Amino acid sequence: MAKKVANQAGAPARAGTVDLQEVERVLDFMQKHGLEEFEYERDGLALRLKKASAAAHGAHGAPAAVEHRWAAPAAHPAPVAPPAALHEAEVGTEDLHLVKSPIVGTFYASANPGAEPLVTLGSKVEAGQVLCIIEAMKLMNEIESDVSGEIGRIFVENGQPVEYGEPLFGIRAHGKK
Amino acid sequence: MFRKILIANRGEIALRVMFACKELGIRTVAVYSEADRHSLHVRFADEAICIGPARSGESYLNIPHVISAAEIANVDAIHPGYGFLSENANFAEVCEASHITFIGPSPGVIRLMGEKDRARAEMAAAGLPVIPGSPGVVPDEDAAKKIAAEVGFPLMVKASEGGGGRGMRVVRESGELIPMFHTARAEAQQAFGSPNVYMEKLIERPRHIEFQVMGDRHGSVIHLGERECSIQRRHQKLLEESPSPGLNKPARERLGAQVVEALQKVGYSSAGTVEFLRDPSGKLYFIEMNARIQVEHPVTEMVTGVDLVKSQIRLAAGEKLGDVIGAFHPRGHSSNAASTPKTRIPSRLRRAALRPSACPADWECAWIRPRTPTR
Repeated sequence: MAKKVANQAGAPARAGTVDLQEVERVLDFMQKHGLEEFEYERDGLALRLKKASAAAHGAHGAPAAVEHRWAAPAAHPAPVAPPAALHEAEVGTEDLHLVKSPIVGTFYASANPGAEPLVTLGSKVEAGQVLCIIEAMKLMNEIESDVSGEIGRIFVENGQPVEYGEPLFGIRAHGKK
Repeated sequence: MFRKILIANRGEIALRVMFACKELGIRTVAVYSEADRHSLHVRFADEAICIGPARSGESYLNIPHVISAAEIANVDAIHPGYGFLSENANFAEVCEASHITFIGPSPGVIRLMGEKDRARAEMAAAGLPVIPGSPGVVPDEDAAKKIAAEVGFPLMVKASEGGGGRGMRVVRESGELIPMFHTARAEAQQAFGSPNVYMEKLIERPRHIEFQVMGDRHGSVIHLGERECSIQRRHQKLLEESPSPGLNKPARERLGAQVVEALQKVGYSSAGTVEFLRDPSGKLYFIEMNARIQVEHPVTEMVTGVDLVKSQIRLAAGEKLGDVIGAFHPRGHSSNAASTPKTRIPSRLRRAALRPSACPADWECAWIRPRTPTR
């Protein structure tokens, strides 16, 4: 069990910014003291680990300083603690195909206000299927998936401003395990 | 006064504008392409938004992306710097339509000054001396021959949408005229998207003298003296200095007054530079105007003590010229040199000598400012 969690913890939102040994030390600490949940923050890193006894695991790394949304890149980054419902994934992001924003604007999960989100975690999608809307200068842009597969991760919240290249969805493409 | 400004540029001018904003207590938003993620201007800003891939056309020149960034960051104004979108009238219009103040002249004035033949005609009508030449665009071969007969050789064929030393062809004798006319039109189409050209007599061995001007949004314009930029390489300025050795006090006062009057007539606001050529006999002729802040603006700042970028911001916010720029007394001499190393500078020397310095206080000494600093 600890090993599975370690694999999940070893796949942070931004690869290369999390020291795996550090995460493993935290996991050993949790194991040793029988902890269910553990939250940890230090310069450049925020972790929230939850044992498998709950519905799903979440292991989050804070984005590197320079990619933190809108804040002074050199300043101490605040932990990005997204709502668990949107961001918990059953696997890490290594095998996910990332759909990134091709424009600058505001992310909307549904086609109209109040409507159901176009996709949710686990939704099966086809290449060319509209995943979300990004509004820019009053124009609604439909963002399509470039692969077929299943939504493994959603990186953004409804109404959130997004920049060019910002990861929106992680799709477990068909044909991959 | 603005709370937040987005700087639609990068490198040293972005830093320069951000320094001015900081001194005015205004929050700054940087935009950057993926290639400039670790750039100094990104790190210095209060907020930073990625607006595209490395190619300028898809990032810094991408109007929807820049405007969208301004909207999601909820800025009050955009400073375009120089180059990029700074003289794009369409961009200025989109800013206005999006209720974001464009820190620069009005779209109509930008458009006027961007069409070099129109600017020349307008300034002539407003009383500035211009080089003998065509009244406007030269539409065909017959018109070209007619102008050449009036003006004589050698002459210049210049692209209407050109400027900045680009899109100019010299014609030394009548046999060259028609072929060169067509070549110039083809090159202008290629480089600037319009084949329109106008013609002027060639001034041999000229001095290039330009006036720094500033206008508010209430109809007032002043000039802050001149810079001489005669030393050039391939029509690109290498050295700029103030005051000009080629201008005495009476000439400066006379021409300065003419410049102010002409610009008030066209409703000029914000910073700008009115460029002249001085022929060996001392006569000065208007050639074009740059409706933006320029790379060499610190030369004028050093001599006058006036912060031109802070002035731009305050004037764009609606302040009156007399409140923003009071009396000033030019003193001393200042110069700026542009250099492009043609050989590789050893890294140890580069580290020692090249340091970003957009802060006016540093200019008393001799700093070297890299155009696009990364450290």
